[in-house]
Amino acid sequence: MTDVSRRQLLVGAAGLAAVGGLAAACGSSSSSAPSTGSTGAAGAPKRGGSFRLGVTGGGSKDIMDGQNIITKPDQARLMTAFETLLLFDENYQLTTNGLAESVTQDNPKQYTIKLRPGIEFQNGKTMTADDVIYSFQRIGTKKFGLTGYAATATMDIAGMKKLDKYTVQLPLKSPDSTIPQTLGSYTFNIVPTGYQAYPHPQVGTGAYKLKSFAPGQQSVHERNPNYWRSGQPYFDTVTIIDFSDSTAQVNGLLGGQIDAMTDLPPSQVKVVQARGMGALVSKTGGWLPICMAIDIPPFDDVRVRQAMRLIVDRPQMLQQVASGYGFVGNDLYAPFDPGYDKALPQRHQDITQAKSLLKAAGHANLSVDLHTTNGAAGMVETATVFANQASAAGVKINVINDPNFYGNQYLKLAFSVDFWGTRAYLNQVQQGSLPTSPYNETHWPPKSGTGSNFESLYNQALAETDSTKRIAIMHEMQQAEYNVGGYIIPFFGGLIDGYGAKVKGLKPSKGTLNLDSFGHGFRTIWFG
Amino acid sequence: MSRFRPSGVWGFILRRLLLGVVVLILVSILVFLATQALPSDPALAILGRSATPASLAALRRQLHLDRSVIDQYWTWVTGLLHGNLGTSLAAQEPVTTLLSPKLVNSAVLVAVAAVVSIPLSIAIGAWAALKRDKAFDRTSSNLLLALAALPEFVVALVLVIVFATTVFHVLPAISTVPPGSRPWNNWVALVLPTITLVIAVAPYVARIMRASMIEVLESDYVEMARLKGLPERTVLVRHALPNALGPVFQVIALNLAYLAGGIIIIEFVFNYSGIGGAITEAVVNHDLPVVQALAILIAAVYVILNLLADVATILVTPKLRTQL
Repeated sequence: MTDVSRRQLLVGAAGLAAVGGLAAACGSSSSSAPSTGSTGAAGAPKRGGSFRLGVTGGGSKDIMDGQNIITKPDQARLMTAFETLLLFDENYQLTTNGLAESVTQDNPKQYTIKLRPGIEFQNGKTMTADDVIYSFQRIGTKKFGLTGYAATATMDIAGMKKLDKYTVQLPLKSPDSTIPQTLGSYTFNIVPTGYQAYPHPQVGTGAYKLKSFAPGQQSVHERNPNYWRSGQPYFDTVTIIDFSDSTAQVNGLLGGQIDAMTDLPPSQVKVVQARGMGALVSKTGGWLPICMAIDIPPFDDVRVRQAMRLIVDRPQMLQQVASGYGFVGNDLYAPFDPGYDKALPQRHQDITQAKSLLKAAGHANLSVDLHTTNGAAGMVETATVFANQASAAGVKINVINDPNFYGNQYLKLAFSVDFWGTRAYLNQVQQGSLPTSPYNETHWPPKSGTGSNFESLYNQALAETDSTKRIAIMHEMQQAEYNVGGYIIPFFGGLIDGYGAKVKGLKPSKGTLNLDSFGHGFRTIWFG
Repeated sequence: MSRFRPSGVWGFILRRLLLGVVVLILVSILVFLATQALPSDPALAILGRSATPASLAALRRQLHLDRSVIDQYWTWVTGLLHGNLGTSLAAQEPVTTLLSPKLVNSAVLVAVAAVVSIPLSIAIGAWAALKRDKAFDRTSSNLLLALAALPEFVVALVLVIVFATTVFHVLPAISTVPPGSRPWNNWVALVLPTITLVIAVAPYVARIMRASMIEVLESDYVEMARLKGLPERTVLVRHALPNALGPVFQVIALNLAYLAGGIIIIEFVFNYSGIGGAITEAVVNHDLPVVQALAILIAAVYVILNLLADVATILVTPKLRTQL
């Protein structure tokens, strides 16, 4: 597996519990039947046409699996044919507009999932509780290596029970209030009993059926005439085309060979708009942290960490690295989480203070290596801009762009730039800020002093069913990270996608996936 | 004991073929050393962070890393000779299956570019030599120099802006070849990449043709032919042109060989699925069998094209031909 794809997996994992309202609202089946055929300024949706999407980041490693992704085109493919129990809307609020009518927390260690009756898979088989149990078992089987596996740690999958044809009981091994987010994350799709990855038949509940697939080149998807949301989808076919380079993507969009593209370069936004086409700018929770390992010199001294955090000019970083598409960060992650602590004062650049902190720590002429790689757009730029800003404080930062960054040294480095996707706070903690986390760059939490109780606070938060009390615990955790943590989070980036003039129905989304979660699985968009 | 030395043109071809085989054997040793034998543990390099003892052992078995270096090389080379290039680590399918459609795509593009650019550039060069220091010569020389100075991607982007996206909308901006189809099924898409490659290659060939032709036109035998009273047409076609072509074939061969490995930028700009993209992807993925196969393949193209150029040079140059 390449370095890049490891990170892509990581971003994929971000979908495991992407940011959103915490569980509380979800227990009550708050929503009416899902609305279809949304109208608006764009006019009423129209049927017909072949939609062609250009996606970068794919290659011969492309796969099609209803519960797994490796590359970015895989994300788009997944969205054509497979659906989740709960659904995030474009504001990243969890809704019951998915395959489940309701997901209820019976007690801290048990959930009950009630399916929407009568939904059929693409082969005509009705979706039932058995399929849900099979889907969870498949994700929870470690050797399959599916994206969602890590999120099944708290689930007692072997103990899942079918209560009736459309009702499933999900017991937990330990309390986990993030289960609803997990059920809404895009790799937690429901597949029919016996399902296997391509080249086996790809059968989901989604709006399009797989017609052909050539990894590294393209896949073609046909309209599912029996789709359960009446009226949808609108296109006859969807074709997902791999691009190796964004120049060709932009040209293809301008020349009319594709109808939409992922990851429009910021410099091309005006070009595309000038031609009457659209640039969909979505403010997501993706971030590129500068990571300081809190147990490796010189960053084992909290004064050095604070000095580094005071060196960053966050608005300038946002402008130079992301062309201003995004919003300034405050060294804390998960900004869309209701538990995000907005009360903590925004950090600003303060070179004088940084200098005096460094002097007090005995590092007045600090010189340090900052490791990174061309893993995600902006990583190297973040390192370079930071090195520039640091020189104002007399700190010499030597940026090392290492193609093998994710090789042996990763997670052992004192100072590095990494990247993460959108997640809810507690899910992010589980992934990156605990001794047991798979990708803990900063070696948080500390063994003593402020923050040493971080892990026990995390466990308390997972077990707490009262959302007000849980948020109070999360605030306490964030205060520790804000005061003595190892992350510098200069800004949260955005996604910019391009689309042709006749594509209607796209809305900016806070989700992890491009193009408004690929037009909600290519079913909420149409040709006007 | 007299050495066996086949003579004549066929003997020359045979000797050059044998030499080509020797070169390829040397290249294969180099490729093997650089990719498989020298890295302390290719399996670890390939798997990186996701390496587990079990997956490392499995990959080492698949790549035969558990055997001696000589044994590994022998297994690889004999596989190569049997058309068995191994299994791609990224795509998990035979390298031949993975590469053959891309190979066809690249070959088609290079072939079309060659068919257009070679006669065109020879004609321009020859005409410029005949009209030396006249308007055509000066214009074409300066224009060709300017085009030669432009990087290929700039040429490609300018063509796309002019013909596909901004000024006119007459040609497709990208040339994606859908799986299962061939480039000629959608020949319109080949136009812009072909023009780009022609512009990349033609200036060099035309300039060397001009220089070579001028030299020939000033030679004694052309003067002799003219003094003999031969019609100018015969002088040019029978006497000047064949002799001028010799050095040009070498330049054409080098340019085509360059295209075989160097159309990568064109493939990127036009999203054309060929071996250039395959090389980059294989390198990024540490896909050892694909990297090895492509390295050998491109070396073979160089050897074959140079052989063809040498043969063509010999055939058009009586002096060389009779020396054999």
